[in-house]
Amino acid sequence: MSNAPMADLERIDFSKISFLVVEPNRLMGQMVRDVLLMLDAQYIDRARDYQSAIQLLKVGRIDVMITEWALSHEVTGKNGMDIVHWVRNDPASPNPFMPIVMMTANSEEEYVCRARDAGVSEFVAKPYTVQGFYTRLAAAIARPRRFVRVEDYFGPDRRRRSSDTYDGPERRIPAEPN
Amino acid sequence: MFLPPAQDLRLKAVNLKKGYPLKLEPAELRRLESVIERAADALHKETAEKLRLLRAALNDVAKGDRADQAMRAIRSLSLDIKGMGGMFKYPLLTAFAKSLNDFTNSIDYPTPVQLDIIAAQIDALYVVLAKHLQGSGGRTERALLDALRQATARHKGSRARF
Repeated sequence: MSNAPMADLERIDFSKISFLVVEPNRLMGQMVRDVLLMLDAQYIDRARDYQSAIQLLKVGRIDVMITEWALSHEVTGKNGMDIVHWVRNDPASPNPFMPIVMMTANSEEEYVCRARDAGVSEFVAKPYTVQGFYTRLAAAIARPRRFVRVEDYFGPDRRRRSSDTYDGPERRIPAEPN
Repeated sequence: MFLPPAQDLRLKAVNLKKGYPLKLEPAELRRLESVIERAADALHKETAEKLRLLRAALNDVAKGDRADQAMRAIRSLSLDIKGMGGMFKYPLLTAFAKSLNDFTNSIDYPTPVQLDIIAAQIDALYVVLAKHLQGSGGRTERALLDALRQATARHKGSRARF
């Protein structure tokens, strides 16, 4: 019997998960789909724009969304961030707690911060490595974070680290030493 | 207000028997990486097509023909190439495309000098792809990238990114 901690023995059965891949580039979308298929995923929907994505999300079957930020938005002006906002905040969203992985070449710090503040669960910068993508996807599925609801934000707790030295009511003020 | 983590998906898909571990074994990782390797030719072809469209958009901007639409196309195409290059062993494509994308994000209607810089960046992308310059390139390529970065820093516009 293995002495490894239980968490190290956990496995993800991707065949039980329904994915939505939102990617306007056919080839890039195909690559994500092919990686998921290799992981034995069986339910993979694809969308190339905001409207198609929302229609699929409304059906209520999607467990995990992987979305690009920059979509073809000549008509609607909407992009991947608008989809994230819809999932997290629209009353018609069937699952506001859905794990959302954003994969985008908009990878500078300001974009990462905006994505985080929109409620994205994990961020993958393009060009990506398969290892980087898998690590973030697995974390989004197997290590769900608690959510936060405040005036101007609903989504995963944006603070990834807990600290023993911060003990104030809003975790901003260091605890006084005894 | 804190809400506890949603457990539905974990209960449905995480177990101790079937599926993939949170940390993949090297052999499993190589199997998944083969998906990207198999797509290398298609990525190469797609990048070539995007470069052709970049040149066409640049010509439209130079002629003043639907220049705002053409600039949007340049921004979008350069972002696509930025996201693709490093995936099929062309990190230089990503670097030059990032330089082009950052520069054109700061410009609505380029001045003649800015237009020349955009043209130089597109030419650099062509050279990288045509000469199959994989990896981070040699001294010449790095010097070119530095020169373009300096030029873009000197002549960047003031368009707001968001």
